[in-house]
Amino acid sequence: MNGSTARDDSHDHGRSRMMAGPRACLALIIAVLAAGGLAAAALAQEGWFGGRGRVEDAEAEGNSAYDGRFVFVRLRYAASSGGLGFRRGRLAPWAHDYPRADVHFMKILEATTFIAPRIDGSNILALDDPALFAFPVAYMSEPGFWRPSDTEVDGLRAYLTKGGFVIFDDFDGPDLDNLKEQMRRVLPDGRFVELDGSHPIFHSFFDIDAPLEFIPPYGQGQPVFYGMFEDNDPAKRLIAVANFNNDIGEYWEFSDTGLVPIDLSNEAYKLGVNYVVYAMTH
Amino acid sequence: MFESIFQLLFEYRPVVFEQGEFRFDTLPESYATAALGAVVVAVTVATYRRAGTRARRRDRLILATLRLAVLAIVLLCLFRPVLVVKAAVPQQNFLGVLLDDSRSMQIADVRGEPRAAFVQREFGSAERALMKALSDRFVVRAFRFSSTATRLGSAKELTFEGSQTRLGAALESARQELAGLPVAGLVLVSDGADTSEASLTSSLLALKADGLPVFTIGIGRETLPRDIQIDRVTTPRKVLKATSLLVDLVITHTGYAGETITLDVEDGGRIVGSREVKLPADGSPAAVQVRAMAGEAGPRVFRFRVSRQPGELVTENNVREALIGVDDRREKILYFEGEPRFELKFIRRAVADDRNLQLVTLQRTADNKYLRLDVDNPDELVGGFPKTREELFAYRGLILGSIEAGAFTGDQLRMITEFADRRGGGLLMLGGPRTFGEGGYTGTPVADALPVVLERSTGSGQARALARLRVMPTRAGQAHAVTQIAGSESASLERWTELPQVTSVNAVAAVKPGGVVLLNGLDERKRSRPVLAFQRYGRGKTIAFSIQDSWLWQMHASMPVDDPTHENFWRQLLRWLVDAVPGTVEAHTTVDRVEPGEPVAITAEIVDPTFVELNDAQAVAHVTHPDGGSSDVPLEWTGARNGEYRGTFVATGQGSYEVQVEASRAGKPVGATVAHVRAAPGDAEYFDARLDAARLRRIADETGGRFYTPETVGGLPEDLKYAGRGVTTTEQRDLWHMPIVLALLLALTCAEWGYRRATGMA
Repeated sequence: MNGSTARDDSHDHGRSRMMAGPRACLALIIAVLAAGGLAAAALAQEGWFGGRGRVEDAEAEGNSAYDGRFVFVRLRYAASSGGLGFRRGRLAPWAHDYPRADVHFMKILEATTFIAPRIDGSNILALDDPALFAFPVAYMSEPGFWRPSDTEVDGLRAYLTKGGFVIFDDFDGPDLDNLKEQMRRVLPDGRFVELDGSHPIFHSFFDIDAPLEFIPPYGQGQPVFYGMFEDNDPAKRLIAVANFNNDIGEYWEFSDTGLVPIDLSNEAYKLGVNYVVYAMTH
Repeated sequence: MFESIFQLLFEYRPVVFEQGEFRFDTLPESYATAALGAVVVAVTVATYRRAGTRARRRDRLILATLRLAVLAIVLLCLFRPVLVVKAAVPQQNFLGVLLDDSRSMQIADVRGEPRAAFVQREFGSAERALMKALSDRFVVRAFRFSSTATRLGSAKELTFEGSQTRLGAALESARQELAGLPVAGLVLVSDGADTSEASLTSSLLALKADGLPVFTIGIGRETLPRDIQIDRVTTPRKVLKATSLLVDLVITHTGYAGETITLDVEDGGRIVGSREVKLPADGSPAAVQVRAMAGEAGPRVFRFRVSRQPGELVTENNVREALIGVDDRREKILYFEGEPRFELKFIRRAVADDRNLQLVTLQRTADNKYLRLDVDNPDELVGGFPKTREELFAYRGLILGSIEAGAFTGDQLRMITEFADRRGGGLLMLGGPRTFGEGGYTGTPVADALPVVLERSTGSGQARALARLRVMPTRAGQAHAVTQIAGSESASLERWTELPQVTSVNAVAAVKPGGVVLLNGLDERKRSRPVLAFQRYGRGKTIAFSIQDSWLWQMHASMPVDDPTHENFWRQLLRWLVDAVPGTVEAHTTVDRVEPGEPVAITAEIVDPTFVELNDAQAVAHVTHPDGGSSDVPLEWTGARNGEYRGTFVATGQGSYEVQVEASRAGKPVGATVAHVRAAPGDAEYFDARLDAARLRRIADETGGRFYTPETVGGLPEDLKYAGRGVTTTEQRDLWHMPIVLALLLALTCAEWGYRRATGMA
């Protein structure tokens, strides 16, 4: 922001805690329901926690090449061990909620904003993959299990320094220590700071005045939003946001199933939309 | 040489023949002598006829002709041919002698001595031959001249410090000074290096009307054997602080072909730019560009300098100075982006640290939903894109991102066009799925303003025809400041070849006749299309940049983390976008430097916030003098052009003057601006400081005088005497005793004798 003034305007200025204008919410809900129809069938076939085969299929199909459009990028990494799905021998932690969370979120993004993303899938990229640099927003699930190699560390450092933005999601407890430790390898001077509802990232599209009142899917505890700023200067842009004690990807994944309340799914989508719009404008 | 031979053969100077009237001063005895001559001719003819039996016909004919020619010349002389000329009466006529007192007379190019030495030697003492000859015949009135002509008591008073040479003004001053007096003519002693931009024609017309001949004496060499000169420097009058200037220069030289010199740019004694230049062949100007950083705010004198080269006679012309007003203000640019996309993020980031650019961003994120960034107050753009001209014209630049034409009303589309045309702002359209023809702009007023021809959209604004392009500068782009992305022109060209591919979804194929393409994109089939083009449009400029993801030049894996290419490109592009964009009050002086004591003309252009010219504004210029004093100069509407006001003040002392122009209307302020001018002795005397013989010849030829060099000036007194001006008397000059007559007689006689010897008839 550099000390400048930013304003988010919707010409129907309805505001509430975690609520945006009614029109936007309406669009959101409609989109959720629309997305639900497609994803429900997939869920019925593949179960609650997904399956290893889906990830393998996605990687076999390959990522879509950059064509100017926004593509959801899920970061793949070599995990130490564990992870909810991984422990059960079914899914690597980086793939948690894949692919339905990715697809659902892109459909919501398309429905609520003027962003025209790819909605038929996402890209799975490693941090040391040169292709990653064509997609300046990336999502990492379960960073508590993240053990990057030196080349991945270098890749992420270059990515963030050049202008990339990373969303860390789905972690709690000691996972935070691991994230901080790994990020110290990436940016030795980088520090995570807690964000409150006044930060522009919570107002880039929806006005999320009280993000700390977000209810996480598994009751991990009080959610905290950590941010890392460019040059550690809060006046500069955020280069990463971390949803500690939280898992918005979980809401995205099951938003079409009826297993999670729509209101909570909406809040998770709002955070995601705000993150992307912020990353595209800051 | 020619005149010496002429005078040797014809006894008199050419002027006598030019001015004189040919007559025969026949005596009564001449007729008797003529009759005798006729008899001789008859005898001669008869004699040669009788000789017909002994000689060939051709021999007789030649010999008779030679003999008759001799007789004809003798007969002609017997009739006493004369020239009647008007000669000036001694001491009855005035003679104006104008001596060049300018600095260029100090140049020592005449056998190692300065040009001034001739003036002091020949005109400094009444005992010198030339001065004595002139003084004997005329009442001499001496003048010194540089910028003006003033009376001179003695040539010893000359200082040769004049910073200008104005030949026309000097001649006019002398003409008026001597008006009403019997004047034989004017003598102009100079190197002819006129530094004024005024034409000589009007001065010469007055002299011709008075019939006053000017005799010019040219001093110096017509070519300097070894010299380097910075001929021309083209700089903007105003720039934003921290702008990287790309300045065009022309360097001429003699004697240094093939050598490499260093051109430095100084700002306040600090070198802010430098480059090496390899000089072309003698006489061929070298057009070069040099970069310089305008790092300090305020009126800055930039010096462009080539150091003294071995054997160089004149070094003062190795330096050019330019006054550039460096503004440290924030230029507001409105960037309207129709969809969230990374291009916006990276453009904002590229110019985030540029304190002189304020990129006010209106980001449409969804239908009827906007994000405003870098606005000055909560009300700015609260209603979306400006709906009035006053609101829009408050910005100096306008960027249209991926926003379709349908997002604007018809009046807003016209406003956008007028933003460039009438307001003089910079309009930039970026590539994207919702711009150019794909955004439905074809047929709109905005399409008229753009430098490229828009294709009619094939349907949906989202129609995609993705082209992957490698961008390369055109010839114009290689020399343009905005596309310089490395330290030199060649390095910049190479850098462009290394940049990663970018994409475009806009079918922009043709450029309008007035458009200039700076960057072309080559697709994978090597087909070229313009990707950066601009044109002047009304008072402003319009730019089309059809790439949708130049952010890849920052983000791509092949780009080093600290590579500044993307930032530099966008800073340069946005600074160029607002370069020379006028405000509501604009002021300038006719020149950026005057001589101390000269008047300075201030011109102001005043418009209202909608950029309609005002003829009823009250305008005043607050002039701050170098000594800290100030004065107010009222500016009056000229009546010649709408919104144009003028006023004048005199720059009495040497130094920099700040001219702050304020305008109001009906008691309400309209705007204010600042201009600068400096008063300093000019260095123009040392530019083109060779002897300009052509100019001096022209003055002499058009007024009926003659041109001399120090070697031929001896004939000046005689020529002046027979100039036919002033109080004259008639003189008769016999022609029969001219050496050429005798020479002819001898030649003809010898020819006859020689012919006879050759043919055996001696």
